[in-house]
Amino acid sequence: MAKEKANPVPKKKINKSYIKRYWQLYALLLLPLIYLAVFKYLPMRYIVLAFKEYKLNTPLGDMPWANVKGQTDIWKYFKTAFGNADFRRALWNTVKLNLLDLICGFPAPIIFALILNEIRLKRFKKVVQTIAYMPHFLSWVIIASLCTQLFAQTDGMVNSLITKMGGENIPFLSDPAHWVATYVGAGVWQSFGWGSIIYLAAIAGINMELYEAAAVDGAGRFKKMWHITLPGIKPTIVVLLIMNLGYIMGGGFERPYAMRNNLVMEVAEVISTFVYKVGIQQLKISLTTAVGLFQSVVGLFFLLTANTISRKLGERGIW
Amino acid sequence: MKKKLLSVVLAASMMLSLAACGDKPADTQSQSTDTQSTTTTTTTTTDSTPAATETTGPDARGMQDGKFVETRHITVELYDRNVDGGTEAGNNAWTQWIQQQMLERYNVEVEFVTVSRWQESDDINNLLASQTAPDICYTYNYGAIQTYANMGGVIDLAPLLEENKDLVPSMFDWLGDELVYQDLDPSAGTLWAIEGKRNEICRINTFVRKDWLDTLGLKEPTNKAEFEEMLVAFRDNADTLLGADASKMVPLSISYDVGWRAATLIESFMDPNITDKEYYVNGYDDRKFTENGTKEAIRLLNKWYNDGLIWKDFAEHSGGDDTTEDDMIKAGFVGAFIHNYDYPFRNGKDSINATLAAQYGDNAKFVAINCFEDKNGGYTKYSYSNSGDRKVFFPATNDEPIASLCYLEFMSQPETVEFLQIGEEGVIHTVDAATGAIVIQAPDDAHHDWYQNSGKNIDMTINCNGLRLSDPDLTTLSLAFSYSDVDPEDVKNAIKAASLDAKVPGSPSVGDIAAETEGTDLAGKRDQTYDKAVVASVADFDAVWDQGMKEYLEAGGQAIMDERQAAWEATYSGDMLP
Repeated sequence: MAKEKANPVPKKKINKSYIKRYWQLYALLLLPLIYLAVFKYLPMRYIVLAFKEYKLNTPLGDMPWANVKGQTDIWKYFKTAFGNADFRRALWNTVKLNLLDLICGFPAPIIFALILNEIRLKRFKKVVQTIAYMPHFLSWVIIASLCTQLFAQTDGMVNSLITKMGGENIPFLSDPAHWVATYVGAGVWQSFGWGSIIYLAAIAGINMELYEAAAVDGAGRFKKMWHITLPGIKPTIVVLLIMNLGYIMGGGFERPYAMRNNLVMEVAEVISTFVYKVGIQQLKISLTTAVGLFQSVVGLFFLLTANTISRKLGERGIW
Repeated sequence: MKKKLLSVVLAASMMLSLAACGDKPADTQSQSTDTQSTTTTTTTTTDSTPAATETTGPDARGMQDGKFVETRHITVELYDRNVDGGTEAGNNAWTQWIQQQMLERYNVEVEFVTVSRWQESDDINNLLASQTAPDICYTYNYGAIQTYANMGGVIDLAPLLEENKDLVPSMFDWLGDELVYQDLDPSAGTLWAIEGKRNEICRINTFVRKDWLDTLGLKEPTNKAEFEEMLVAFRDNADTLLGADASKMVPLSISYDVGWRAATLIESFMDPNITDKEYYVNGYDDRKFTENGTKEAIRLLNKWYNDGLIWKDFAEHSGGDDTTEDDMIKAGFVGAFIHNYDYPFRNGKDSINATLAAQYGDNAKFVAINCFEDKNGGYTKYSYSNSGDRKVFFPATNDEPIASLCYLEFMSQPETVEFLQIGEEGVIHTVDAATGAIVIQAPDDAHHDWYQNSGKNIDMTINCNGLRLSDPDLTTLSLAFSYSDVDPEDVKNAIKAASLDAKVPGSPSVGDIAAETEGTDLAGKRDQTYDKAVVASVADFDAVWDQGMKEYLEAGGQAIMDERQAAWEATYSGDMLP
């Protein structure tokens, strides 16, 4: 053991011997890289389906280009999508719900991290942290049934309490506007604790001397928070904001699918559920590939724009 | 040393996973002709003319004396209902029996591919897209098969049947030419699927709590007004009926699937003299959404909902959550509901009636009644048609179509179906001493492997739905005894109620309707409209209904009706089936 450790590293050939010395770490990196290649890059060749007529049991190359009565029109499925009232509604809902998520969900972990940071009682802080992380590990199916149990119009626990105290039923799940609030609220509840981890880490990296110096200058808690902590985690906030903007057209499938019901479909149908319903359930693969491609392109556009703006403003981008 | 060892192990595992991943693409490419076979690897697929040199050898199909000379391997779809207390769907005494019989009779190995009963079409779509669909598939949805066929995913059965008709005599006996060729396209001559047959055609019933009626001194309602009075009485006497649980009272329970869970009510509002043509034109939607009269039926439901007679939260428990409502019914909080004609009797000890009896005594039970009068004073409702149940099709990846036909033949034989439905005496049935009827019972622990995961093994008897014993008279006699742990008299009464004034829909054969594969999410739009219309305020009802109907028709509903009308007019001269 000792011999190996003593192995000296010549400084000039740093690259080669660096890899040689830490090859185990690089080997560990292989697995995620393979994952990306197999599950993210290889499937990309099927993007071409958006411009083709999907056929079963036919190699990708042999599928004909999208056509209307024999007339090749590779944009056929994009036109079909935008001509479909359901898709337009899903598109609008996706943007709306994601924006609301961003407005309500993005600041929540930051505020939570700031508050946690001010708590001096270590054990209490740990307990609060753990409890706040927990919802992150629940699947949306479970959260959705929790919501039904809690918020159903008459049987739900919350409404039972409200009526027992003489109040009026609140249609948390059956009225579209209320449902959106419930949806966004559940999202914030599920993710704010977990999301705060990265900010807490950033806060931990701030130089303590700054606080001491500020204290000497007579800064109170809020002044310190405003002038030291927040600027200290600003780069982290910006990077996460950029990444979140990339998801503005995306978003998961599980959450809207598990939480919606027939009464609120007009606000709950989003692109991912539309793709599932039309693509998987009705096997309209070309149409939904077109939708997916459109979604990705718009997402990429948002991401690049946000990144450029952030760099122009003098912040670090995500690359 | 430890560190070194660890790194070697890690590196080795990396290499292994790399190798495994590298294999995959090549593997899937070569899979195009290979059907999914995870359990058996020894069987090799052979050409259809093996050992052709022998003089008295096998025929061109590779068969000798009705049996394949070389063992063939087929895969068969099987629903997995994930039954509580059941057995493994694809591996139990029943599946093993089928496998053994097929091997003995035809020298064909059968492998079952299980798909979730509740997501069957999603699963089959995925299997088809990945070219791993079972050789024999079935589904209730003909539109789906048509979609697959349009994409080149299904074998045309017309020529196959023509060449091999001698192999499937029992199937033709059981289904008849009419049913076998019901889906034959008159112009193209293609046959993508073979329809199954229903042997029990009862469909829906309205059920009420008998003991509640008795407690309140009410008679069974015989018309809508009396039914409404009964619901009001349930609501107003919740304290008497439920005591401490009075707040949980639900006079009438429905689910998000209103079209089904109000079917007797909806059908009573339809014109009893509707023509076959009108019925067919509106027939794409099996929830009667576009029929004349449906709107008025839902208007009545809407009134009841606003009067507090219907479960308030029904629409919030959507898709896939049947348990909340079932539990409510079993707990005894519900006064009435509309459902499958035998719904309270299903599932033996877990059935609704058996659960109620266990808690509140034998008088606590649901009985079937007729209480929704049509405009002529009868109780018009629709039963199932004998023809058309599940549709069997062979995906294009099926390279054993003849062996697959043999399987259909085996499944059509009366003895096969009888055994699958009632098994051996003493195991899952006894013979009633007084009447000689077959009485189905749950198997004891020693024979648990013979548990039927689906009632009468309906998921295995792929072209037969309903009790089918070799002796038709015994079949009729035994129907009421085919549910364990419930009173046969209640079942008899339910069959009688479901049959009263029940019409059997005709089965026109007009070829494929292309528009049926085009619409986007019509069933979803229908359910949303039904649900929203029921919970709307009375003043908003018309607006909600009309808007929902408009969206449904625009999304493809109208196109289907137009094409159906044209197809009918091209095939038949009058408004009624000949």
